[in-house]
This record gives sequence, C-alpha cells and structure tokens, in this order.
Amino acid sequence: MTAEGNEHIYKPAMMRIAAMRDEAPQVRTLRLEFVDAADHEQFKKNYRTGMFGLYGVFGEGESTFCVASPETRKDYIECTFRETGRVTSTLANCDVGDMISFRGPYGNRFPLEDFEGKNIVFVAGGIALPPTRSVIWSCLDQRDKFKKITIVYGARTVADLVYKQELEEWSKRGDVELVQTVDPGGETPDWKYKIGFVPTVLEQTAPSSDNAVAVMCGPPIMIKFTLVSLNKLGFKPENVYTTLENRMKCGLGKCGRCNVGSVYVCKEGPVFTAAQIAKMPAGDM
Amino acid sequence: MAKILAKNKLNDVIAKLKSAGIDLFGPVRDDKHSWYGPVEEAGQLALDLILTDRTLKELFFPQTEPLLKFEIKKQQVDMQEMSPPNRQRVIFAVRPCDAAGIAIDDALFGWDYKDSYWFKRRNDSTIVSIACTAADEFCLCTSLKLSPDSTKGSDILLWPTKDGKGWRVEEITDKGKEFLGRINELLEDSEDQTAAVANVPVKFDLDKVVAWLAEPANFDSSFWREISRRCIGCGACTFLCPTCHCFDIQDEGNTYHGVRQKNWDSCSFAMFTMHTSGHNPRPTQMSRWRQRIMHKFNYYPGKFQANSCSGCGRCTRQCPVDMGIVETLREISKSV
Amino acid sequence: MGALEILKDRAKQLLTAGEVKMVIGYGRGSTADRRRAIFISDEAQADKLVLDKSCEDNLAGYLVREGLLQDGKKVAIFLSPAGIRSVNVLAAEDQLNPDQVVILGFEIKGDQVSALDGHHVNGFIELVGQIKKQGLSKDREELIAKLEKMTPPERFEFWRAQFSKCLKCYACRQGCPMCYCRRCIVDRNQPQWINTSPHSMGNFEWNIVRAFHLAGRCVGCGNCERACPVGIPLMLLNQQMAAEVLSAFDHFAGMNSTQEPVLASFKREDPDTFIL
Repeated sequence: MTAEGNEHIYKPAMMRIAAMRDEAPQVRTLRLEFVDAADHEQFKKNYRTGMFGLYGVFGEGESTFCVASPETRKDYIECTFRETGRVTSTLANCDVGDMISFRGPYGNRFPLEDFEGKNIVFVAGGIALPPTRSVIWSCLDQRDKFKKITIVYGARTVADLVYKQELEEWSKRGDVELVQTVDPGGETPDWKYKIGFVPTVLEQTAPSSDNAVAVMCGPPIMIKFTLVSLNKLGFKPENVYTTLENRMKCGLGKCGRCNVGSVYVCKEGPVFTAAQIAKMPAGDM
Repeated sequence: MAKILAKNKLNDVIAKLKSAGIDLFGPVRDDKHSWYGPVEEAGQLALDLILTDRTLKELFFPQTEPLLKFEIKKQQVDMQEMSPPNRQRVIFAVRPCDAAGIAIDDALFGWDYKDSYWFKRRNDSTIVSIACTAADEFCLCTSLKLSPDSTKGSDILLWPTKDGKGWRVEEITDKGKEFLGRINELLEDSEDQTAAVANVPVKFDLDKVVAWLAEPANFDSSFWREISRRCIGCGACTFLCPTCHCFDIQDEGNTYHGVRQKNWDSCSFAMFTMHTSGHNPRPTQMSRWRQRIMHKFNYYPGKFQANSCSGCGRCTRQCPVDMGIVETLREISKSV
Repeated sequence: MGALEILKDRAKQLLTAGEVKMVIGYGRGSTADRRRAIFISDEAQADKLVLDKSCEDNLAGYLVREGLLQDGKKVAIFLSPAGIRSVNVLAAEDQLNPDQVVILGFEIKGDQVSALDGHHVNGFIELVGQIKKQGLSKDREELIAKLEKMTPPERFEFWRAQFSKCLKCYACRQGCPMCYCRRCIVDRNQPQWINTSPHSMGNFEWNIVRAFHLAGRCVGCGNCERACPVGIPLMLLNQQMAAEVLSAFDHFAGMNSTQEPVLASFKREDPDTFIL
C-alpha cells in the first residue's frame, strides 16, 4: 500500500514452485504456492475459473497464462505453458523451490451458475486444454450440480496431449464421457482412441445441444471449424463459451495492448461467448 | 475587481512556494526544443511559446519509471516496490489542452485498479493554466469541443492581461484555492482588461466523425489504407500526445539484481501486438493507424465518455511524414 | 521545361503505358511549406505531384516497406542523389531488385531544382562518383571541429546531454531507408541486447548501436534528424561515422548496386592497427 492507501497494482505476489510436470514436448505445468498468506487470502477471495494471471521471472519479465487449477482447489495455483519465448524459456528451466512472481487473478470468469442443471460439452485442442481443464475440474468437483459432461479433446500427436494422467482419470470415471483424438498421422501403434481432427470427431460424437452449453478452447483455426460444427449440432452462439488470448503486459486495462476492437481482453475477457465474439471486428484479431 | 498576478512577482511566487517545500515547474526550452521542467528562476520560463514540444503528461507518467527492484539469490528473490518521489509541485503556465489531457487520462488510470504512480503525482501537483491568446495552424482544440480558455483539468486558469504585464486569476478547484491562499499577498486588485483569447477555427465536425467510426462496417473501409499510406510507424505522435498512455513493462538487470520498468510504448509500432507465436493481429501500418483513431474517438469515449484527444495538434506539428490526426478526421467528416 | 514538368510527364507516360504500377513522389502537405509522400497509381492523379526545394525527404524507404516490390512489378520514384544511393545500398544488400525501380531523379541546389537524366541506378554511377569526390558535407564544420577538440569525457557529456532527450520513438529508425530489419535488434529479447527503456543507458545504447549499424551504409539523406521530434543532431554522428569509414576503407555508401558492404567485406589493404 502507498501512503495514500493506494495499492501498488503492479506489485506481484511471490510464489514458490512446489511441483512441476512435463506434459508434452516443451509443455510444462507448474504448481505454485503463495509465500505470503495475505496474498493467498486475496487470491482465494477473488479467483474464479476462467481468470488469468501474469507469471513472472524477475529479470526476464512476465508472461500471461490462464490459471489452470479450478476454483474448487485454491490452495495452490497451477499453470501450464509452452516454451515459446523469453519468459517461458526461463520458466521451463526453473527448479522446484525457485521463486517466481504472480499477478492476478485478472479478467472475467466462466459463469458456472449458468451451467447448473445443464449438460456441458467441453471441446479443446492441444495446448488449449489448460483453461478448459480449469473449468472441467471446477465442474467435476461439484459434479451433481451439472448434468451430462462430455469432453472432446485432441492434439496433433499422442505426445502433444497434455494432462495425460488426468485424461486417464477422466476416462476411468463413470460420470464423464471423454473422447480423445489425435490428428491423422499423429497416432502411435498402441493408440486406442479416435483419429481425426477435433471438429470432425465432435460431430461424430454428436452431443445433444438440448439444455446444453459448450466450452471450447483452441488455436484460432480449430475454433473457427469447431464453431461451425457446434452450430451444426444446434448450439446457439450465446451458449458457446471460449477464451481469447492477446498479447498482454499490464493485465489490468491500462497498457492499451490487448483490445480487440473496443473490447479489452484483460478486463472484459478472457471468457467470451461466441455471440460476443461475432460482434468483434475480425480484422483486429 | 479582479485579482491579477503580475509577471514581475513570479520570483516571489517561486520563493513562497519553496519555503513551503513546493517546487515550481513550467515550460522551458533550449535552442531546439521545449518541455515542462523544473524552474528555479522566473526568467527560465518560456512564456512566449504557443505550446511546448513535449507534453505535460510526462510529469505524471514519466517515459520510464521503476515499478520494483529485486535482488536475486538462490531460490529466493527480495523484491521492493518503488514509488514516485515525494515532490509537491505547482505546474505553471500549462496550456489548457495539456491540462485537459491529464483530466482525460484520469479515467483510464483509475479504471477499477488505481495506478498509484499516476495518482500520487496528481495529488502532489497543482495545475495553473494560462489561456491561449495565440494559436497556430495546427491547433484544433475547438474541433474537440474544448477551447483556448478551457478549464478542464486546471486548478487555476490565468487570463493574460491586455498590457501583457500579468494575468487575471480565476480559481477553478479547491486545490487552486489553496494555491491562491499561499500567494494571496502577491496578488493585486485591478480593473485590467484581459486580452482576447486566440481564435481557433473548427476544422471538422466531431459528431460526424464519431458517428462514422461507430458504424461497424466502416472498420473494414479502404479509407484506412489510403489515408495512412505514408505513415512510417514511429512513435512520435504517441509520445507527443497529451493523452496517449500505452506502456510496456520490461525487466532489466543482470543475474543478481534488476528493476522492472514501466516504459512508454506505442500502438503504431509493428511489434506492439505481436504474439510469441508469430501471429500479429495488426500486421499492417493501416491496421495500426486505424487502431489509433478508433481508440481515441470510439473505444475510449465508449468507456470513459471522453475522446482521447485534447486538440493540441502536436501529432500533426511533429509528424516526420506530415500525418497527424487532423487530415484523417477531416476526411471522415467531409465524407459523411 | 522545369524539373517538375519533365518528371511529371515521365511519370504520366510510365503510368499510362502500364510500365509501373505506382509512382511515389511528393505532394502538397498540410501547410504551404510542407511536402509529403504521395502514392499515385493512375495518371489522372499525377497532377498532385510537386517538386521544389522543400522536397527534402528521402522516399527510398517506401520501396522496402510492407512488401511493395514483392509482386515483381515496377515502381517509379522521385529520388535525389541521396535517394539514388539508398537504392544502391538496398540493392547491394539484396533488399530489392534495382530493375524494379524506375528513378525520376532530381537534384536540389539552393533554391533550384533540376531533373536528372537516367532511370535505372546504373545510369547514375558517374554522378555518385562525382559526389564522392566532392567529399562529405560541409554542414556544421564548426560544430564538428569543436567536438573533435573535446576530450573523450567532454564528448561523452555532450552526447549524454543530447541523448537524454531521446524518447525512443524510433522516428529515426522508421524514417531511414537502411533500417529495414523486420525485427530490429532493440526488439529482440532472447537475449535483450539493447535496453528498451528511454533512460540514459538505454538511449546511449540505442543511438550508438544505430550509428554503428549505419556505418558505411548511411547516405546522409537527413531523414533521421528531420524526423527526430526532440532535435538530437543525429546527422552529426552519422557524418562522423561516414568520414571514419571513408578515411579508413575508402568506402562511400551507395556507389553502385553491387558494392560490398564495408562491415561485411575485407580487403588485404584494410588497416589493421587494432591488431597488436
């Protein structure tokens, strides 16, 4: 706090890396624990699934990812990222016990209360499973609030599937229908699940759009075709939820970088319905 | 009867403020360039400028400033927040367009999360503006529904007297009242007439411009490409604009210690929105020029009920390739 | 016929014949004495062209912006000798094919503008040779002499004061035809070679590195200094660099379109006084 009682809004919380897991080539999950109890209380009070944070390495900078852990498990923060640039490369070289920074949780949330009593269809591709996974666990941890849960998840190759252990878990649970797929040519000899692009497999699975919402995350090309498939299956754009990503620096609506048209992804997103996205200028995405 | 502050009393003002621990800032210059800087002696003030090259915003939002500093040890980082220095100041001889720019930016810096770096400096500063009696061909405050004697953002407005020896003092805010209280004995009563305020012709119909920009179909108009052909994508207009506020956060240092800096940035730069994946939502200068105009005259007013422009004209005055917003807005206005 | 009429006629012919897809020239600016770049794609617009002593900016940079020449078509462009030299440097560095560039050459001498003969860079080799013989610009001889008399600490302080004004707006870089890197070194972050912050260190790094990157490539067009919104005398640095390069390597930028870049080539006779 400053003398005037203003928060230092750019001041991060210190986090210790409690555990890590390699998900896929160059994709890693970190489990982080708050060093300061007050920061942890703030997080527990504010975090809802869908929100994101800025994870930083002092000396390198901050990078934006979703909070991959669900709102039902707030003792820690999990994030999953691909090694692509300066900050993520350094994060990928960190050890358990290292200290990194976290700013957040920022942004809006998936309105889980609107999903209650409904069927939920989760569709995700590749490295986009993390934001979806946060919602999936938030729902599975309160399973009886929701009706049928279907998960359609695919990646380019078997190696690229993330959260492999959790995929196992989900497929073994009796209360979830999990459909896994890899792109044609991405299968291994012992692959026992589907082969095909996610939108195609989604259409084959043909989940009912009756009393249902869809939550989908993926690379732009997958989103485009999945929207078409969901539309074919009868899902209305107001009932299809997704997340948008954009380059961010402040995460809280000041640096002017993340807007798509008039919409600031860090403040009015990252969770949007397909109906909201249809109103945004495609030429600014 | 009006209260007049005489020019020859300025050094006394400076001394009075100093004795209260308050610094004076104002327009200063060297042979090539002018800006708002600290003033020790009244002679340093460049009072004859139509306006300074650089804007007032850098006194509230510096080009670079440290947010935190850190010491890196094995599995431990010691971090310390950095705050703006304690510096009470009166900023004198501000142009109304510059003062308005600060007021316009208050909305953004206070949007949900209050930026303490901005607001501490705001709290520590009193803005004393001088109404303009001269303008040049680039001024366009009136087109933005402001004026050379606008009080927006000012704590005090000074009106130049006809004889040029001082200013009639108009109190605008409580902070202004406090400042006047400090220098009250230096003020004189006078019947002096004030000089005429500058005539700044309106250059375009703002309402028409805003209506055109609000039309979703116009986002993809070929107009954007045509009007921005010669833009070279530098940050001059952004950095010389009283309201532009985009910034970058950068870590600097070495293996053992460093700082996290907040630096000016510009949506005109090609790398501004570049994703690590290589995808850039704004890959052409045209899309970046469109962002600039849309942000200032559509997105910002949509959220904060104020256009992100105070009509100072610096963007056009300084642009290396004669861009600036006037031509774009005028063309839009004509086309509607 | 005045230079403008000659070159305007040529421009119209090129457009009518479909020989070029566009003419890049100068048009009237937002005030009486301003000129700006205009991009003309049909001959009806050619009457917007102007040409006078205010047409100072080097337009060559537009040839390598946003893939203008990628479609293989030709573009005609108004260029002064500095601009022509720019095209040579860009061609020598494989940034454009000089056969795609039709030059509408002109020269400003005091208040007069004259049209130059020739339409391809190869037609101006002799002209550039003469310019080299004339030696580097005599502008600011006094200031240069003053700087040369300074001790290194004094000179450092001179530049520190100048660079303290730098805003990192990169107008100098964006206005320079030779700064065509799709990803400038200051925008690279693995590692972050140059501090992006506009503090003293960051400003020094930026301006000095840019001067070095221009050594032997700068043609002295002055776009950078004219573009700089805070009045840093950038040409002073670049002129000195050019003088060093000329005296050490007899290299004058932009002589022809196959000239080897001075920092990327080696001759036996190169001075090796730095090798102990």
